Amino acid sequence: MMIRKRRGGLAAASALAAAALAAASCSSGGGTASSSAPASSAAAEPVTIRVQTFGGGSNFGYKNAITKWNAEHKDIQIKEEHLTDQFEQQYWPQMIQWLQAGNGAGDVVGIDEGGMGLAKAHPEWWADLKEYGLDSRQGDFPAWKWENGLTADGKLFGLGTDIGGMSICYRTDLFKKAGLPTDREKVTALWPSWDAFMKVGQQFQGKVKDSKFADGTNTLYQVVLYQEAAKNGNVTYFDKENNLIVDKNPAVKTAFDFATKMSQQGLTAKLRNFTDEWAAGTQKGSFATLGCPSWMLGVVSGNAGDKGKGQWDVAGVPGGGGNWGGSWLAVPKQSKNPKEAAMVADYLTNAQTEASIFTDFGNMPSNTKAQQDAAVQGAKNEFFNDAPIGEIFAKSAETLQPVFLGVKHAQVKNAIESVIQGMDDGSVGYDKAWKQLVDDAVKAAG
Amino acid sequence: MSIDTLPRAVRHTPHRPPGRRWRSRLDVKAMPYTLVSPYFILFAAFGLFPLAFTLYYSLYDYDLAGTTEWAGLENYTKLLADEDFWNAVVNTVGMFFLATVPQLLLALFLANALNKRLRLRLAIRMSVLLPLVTSVVAVAVVFTQLYARDWGLVNWILGWFGVDALNWRAERIPSWIAIATMVDWRWTGYNAIIFLAGMQTIPKDLYEAAAIDGASRRRQFWQITLPMLRPTMIFVVLNSTIGGLTLFSEPTTFYNGNVDGGSQGQFQTVAMFIVKQGFREFDYGYAAAAAWLLFLLILIGAFVNFMFVRRIGGTK
Amino acid sequence: MTNWSPTLITRVMLALAVVLSAFPLYWMLVIASRTNSDAVSVPPPFLPGGNLGENIVAVLNNEDAHFLLGLTNSFIVASVVTVSVVIISTLAGFSFASLNFKGRNVLLLAVLLTMAVPLQQMGVVPLYRLMVSLEWTGTLKAVILPYLLNGFGVFLMTQYTRQAVPMELVEAARVDGAATLRIWWSVVLPAVRPGMAVLGINTFMLMWNDFMWPLIVLTPDNPTVQIAITSLNARFSTNYTLIFAGTALSIIPLIAVFVAFGRQIVGGLMEGAVKA
Repeated sequence: MMIRKRRGGLAAASALAAAALAAASCSSGGGTASSSAPASSAAAEPVTIRVQTFGGGSNFGYKNAITKWNAEHKDIQIKEEHLTDQFEQQYWPQMIQWLQAGNGAGDVVGIDEGGMGLAKAHPEWWADLKEYGLDSRQGDFPAWKWENGLTADGKLFGLGTDIGGMSICYRTDLFKKAGLPTDREKVTALWPSWDAFMKVGQQFQGKVKDSKFADGTNTLYQVVLYQEAAKNGNVTYFDKENNLIVDKNPAVKTAFDFATKMSQQGLTAKLRNFTDEWAAGTQKGSFATLGCPSWMLGVVSGNAGDKGKGQWDVAGVPGGGGNWGGSWLAVPKQSKNPKEAAMVADYLTNAQTEASIFTDFGNMPSNTKAQQDAAVQGAKNEFFNDAPIGEIFAKSAETLQPVFLGVKHAQVKNAIESVIQGMDDGSVGYDKAWKQLVDDAVKAAG
Repeated sequence: MSIDTLPRAVRHTPHRPPGRRWRSRLDVKAMPYTLVSPYFILFAAFGLFPLAFTLYYSLYDYDLAGTTEWAGLENYTKLLADEDFWNAVVNTVGMFFLATVPQLLLALFLANALNKRLRLRLAIRMSVLLPLVTSVVAVAVVFTQLYARDWGLVNWILGWFGVDALNWRAERIPSWIAIATMVDWRWTGYNAIIFLAGMQTIPKDLYEAAAIDGASRRRQFWQITLPMLRPTMIFVVLNSTIGGLTLFSEPTTFYNGNVDGGSQGQFQTVAMFIVKQGFREFDYGYAAAAAWLLFLLILIGAFVNFMFVRRIGGTK
Repeated sequence: MTNWSPTLITRVMLALAVVLSAFPLYWMLVIASRTNSDAVSVPPPFLPGGNLGENIVAVLNNEDAHFLLGLTNSFIVASVVTVSVVIISTLAGFSFASLNFKGRNVLLLAVLLTMAVPLQQMGVVPLYRLMVSLEWTGTLKAVILPYLLNGFGVFLMTQYTRQAVPMELVEAARVDGAATLRIWWSVVLPAVRPGMAVLGINTFMLMWNDFMWPLIVLTPDNPTVQIAITSLNARFSTNYTLIFAGTALSIIPLIAVFVAFGRQIVGGLMEGAVKA
């Protein structure tokens, strides 16, 4: 009796094992079966196009556009996978890994400007969108945005989504508390220069104790860096021959010095952008200002949630214009449905979609036809107290100076931001920070 | 003697077919090897192969651009001069001590307590084992929230004592402490149960004899329990050594799933360093070389700990 | 068992241990059952709220999270590996403990040496490159295969079999004419079941919690549960209630099993620990 019972247990265990093994082979088999379904059989079963993005908040602002597409196209369904808020630290390394492995990347993937240098250098990763007739889109984009989407050997792999533009997002409630004006015109007038900006910060910090003037050192550092880059040959960490020039480019030092001063004067909440504590800080009012390229508006509104509506506003940036960020969409060669993926990339970057993304969320279109759209130029953002974002960002789009970014820009950017963040949170001494910044940049550039 | 000349024997073992003897000899000779062979075959495929190829990879220089060049021992010499690598080694060893020492002491005292006559014995034993059956990443997420700078429970409690909010993810020692608590929370109860099992095998008359000699409880613990626990201790310590020196899940989750381990690598472990080099910067050769050095570190750690435990409680 | 009755300090310490063991899990439920702004408020909330069901439904309905798939995948991975490790180790352990053959000690020593090798950490680079060339990245095969063996398992079962199966028993069975496999099946297996249980539980927990290798080789659309939580954490950075509901979900199956089989698990662990 005992023995029979024991055998029963063992038999059950091996049955379980067999079932589990069968399930394992099923699930992996199932995965390949569905993804390897030929594109031509689309009529039978809808093709799912996975669009991978990053950024946080409303990130690429695709929510409404995708809902609309999916309602109109029963045969091709878009599924957005927002992978992470952090581009350089997480999204891009993982994407490179998947692109090299030939598995894992979506059918359409977003690439930030910092990754484009490397993407261009690897034509083998991408489907050629010319094969799907998308070279017809050239007239939609400014020359620099278009050319950045071409690989070294002339293949079209990326279509422009948004551009940065520049503004400062600020909390009206906290400004009020500090006795500062809250009206955006007056706020803009407060800071014609970065020195003035810092003075406002000191004034603010003198009155408000439990919130900081700025989020951290990083968003403002980026704004200053890109403004200064425009004065220094439109390069940041690499020159146009891809030589590392971190220690030689005055733009980097100027931006770094500004970040140092902000930190030393205790004006920052010491939060690094795109971390969870930073995002939650937007909700909680941990800080009153941050550097806001157009696409940051959606990040702020998304992070702050509905309760934040009306608390935030958008003002002009000290020192005039500038550009930070902006992305492209590409179709990896490993996509099983490149034709449909190209259609989706085409749709998500067309004038109508880019215009609606701007009016819904704030990402400034790179598509020139969308920029000229009356709805875009007259757009107001409800979340930001009906700020006339069309007016604010259209100006910066006109004067935008494309900045050259090297092949390893994303890697170097991450290293440098880590040092600046470390300086702000006290893990790197102020006196050692610059040397370490240069050293770490050299290391990251490999 | 053939089988059919021995009908009785046949009746004794009914289904003995012809040729049985030859088969039986084969069975005795070959079966032992057959039984151990699955292990060694799999080890060759998933043990020897990776080890050998890790060595092979470590002799090449890989680049993000996809180029591969013979590098000889350059990866090793570079590693030994790499501050970031040594930072990871220091972090790993530091967190290992910070986690293991209190953990083993607590486990020992907990086991001693559990070894008393208790009501709800099973319930208490199960409760201390509870952390073991949770998901490691899930728990790390919870702890990370508890250690949040601006709204974490831990900082809030420290605030009662007038301590300023600590930035647990930015300051090196606090970050180690935070991670060590995650590790300890998970493993202390388990190790206590293992120690308890060991304690229960210690013959009772040893204690009785000691009691007659007038030894106090505390003295009995140090003089009898601890030395008799040595085999269990070796098992537990070796386990903790390998686990501690390959620490990855907790510190990675503590920084949002990012293997940088803090803005300045405040809590980046060697395992995280390997993943960063190999799969974030795509320098496979460098990662492979670091893997070999990690192995060396584990061997040293295991040896040192083994020797240490052997000395505990006066060696015989 | 000693007869000492616990002192007050012992009682307090045990109570503290029980509370501390349970607290993070309680905390998980508190946050998972509240709203997002509660999760980041100071002072923190201490009692559960009423949104647990809602938050759990939100996780399960969130297609990006692939949470059910993650749970299923983890179950498959952990089960397959556990069964494989237990069978391989029991067979080898029997052979090392009860059978005589040339080279036995050398082979056993080899097993002992392999125990010190953290294969999954050491071998990441070649294993990953192998999986890439087999085009197995993103599949469960890639996660399962490198774990099918476990030197610790062989060692444990060797020790356990030595203790639990007297040589005379094996020899008697042999005299009766039983073949080796037959002896394993009817003599050894019944005796070493507690050891198998310990090894099984250990292996299952180890695989359920495996993180580094799946993080490298899997993709977020076919995750194990640990990867699913990590993606949840990365994708919904400020949505703490959603993340915590996910973490609670990932733990509930394990706790359920633990509560149901607690007595056996605790007993098995203790017995296995002593005999090994």
